[in-house]
Amino acid sequence: MTAFDTAERRRATDARPVITELIDEATIQSIAEQAWISLVGEEEVLVPLPAELPADVLSSWVDVVGPWTGSVVLTTGRRTAEELSRALLRDSAPPVLDEEDVVDAFGEIANVVGGSIKATLPGHSALSLPSVGASPEVRNASDVCRIDLLWRGEPVAISVQGALPALPSSPDPHHPADPDRSTYENEVPL
Amino acid sequence: MKILIADDSRVMRQIVIRTLRQAGYDDHDIVEAEDGRDAYEKVQAEKPDLVLSDWNMPNMTGIECLEALRSAGSTVPFGFVTSEGSEEMRGKAADAGALFLIAKPFTSETFTEHLDGVIA
Repeated sequence: MTAFDTAERRRATDARPVITELIDEATIQSIAEQAWISLVGEEEVLVPLPAELPADVLSSWVDVVGPWTGSVVLTTGRRTAEELSRALLRDSAPPVLDEEDVVDAFGEIANVVGGSIKATLPGHSALSLPSVGASPEVRNASDVCRIDLLWRGEPVAISVQGALPALPSSPDPHHPADPDRSTYENEVPL
Repeated sequence: MKILIADDSRVMRQIVIRTLRQAGYDDHDIVEAEDGRDAYEKVQAEKPDLVLSDWNMPNMTGIECLEALRSAGSTVPFGFVTSEGSEEMRGKAADAGALFLIAKPFTSETFTEHLDGVIA
């Protein structure tokens, strides 16, 4: 029985890695810097300093589905998202940006950052098309790797966050620690 | 030379066009397509000399577009410009007949590296 319990426990922990086992802040920072240089401009700098995000924020993200499942989420003030979009559009930026331009440009930054992060993860994963709006919720606080940056003095957060709830701590399927376990055993909420 | 650029992001199509210019390829006709299906149709209609395509697009992905083109007998030179830069994706692209895969984020140097010899 002891051997069985150990195997159960191993499966429970090995089956789904958390993101901090797969990537670190320095890698995310490096990926973000490369994306900024390519998309925003060669002289653009990201400073790794935390600062409080404004009340009116906008997020863009892509979902990664594979051995690790979650989202790569960029969050910044709405005005900063517009400035980023303007930087991407450069000469073709209209005097007044359409919502569509911001969704396109800000979403594309998440796509590029998310694609690079996906490439560092083990095994086969699928990448979604980008979304822009209110950030997906953090489902499991221990499955998050987040960096806080300043771009042109404005805060930008990049959160690589799991989309699945924490696994129950009990290895015994007859006495699950989480009474809701059965509700997500057959579902992959994303 | 006529180059077809397929990407569902208008901003990214502009960045690709800008990067082509920065890499010195500034004297070519550009045709834009907003997804794989649009690209497939425009390859038939516009007869480009080269396709630069994103991978993940609605309606038809870039790899589906390439496979459909090859099935239809098109031999148009085809390369990916995509955020899907893993070895697995590079293998899939090569197997389907792509000449190269430029991973986003890219620089004008990356473009030169892959396009030298492809663009006359």
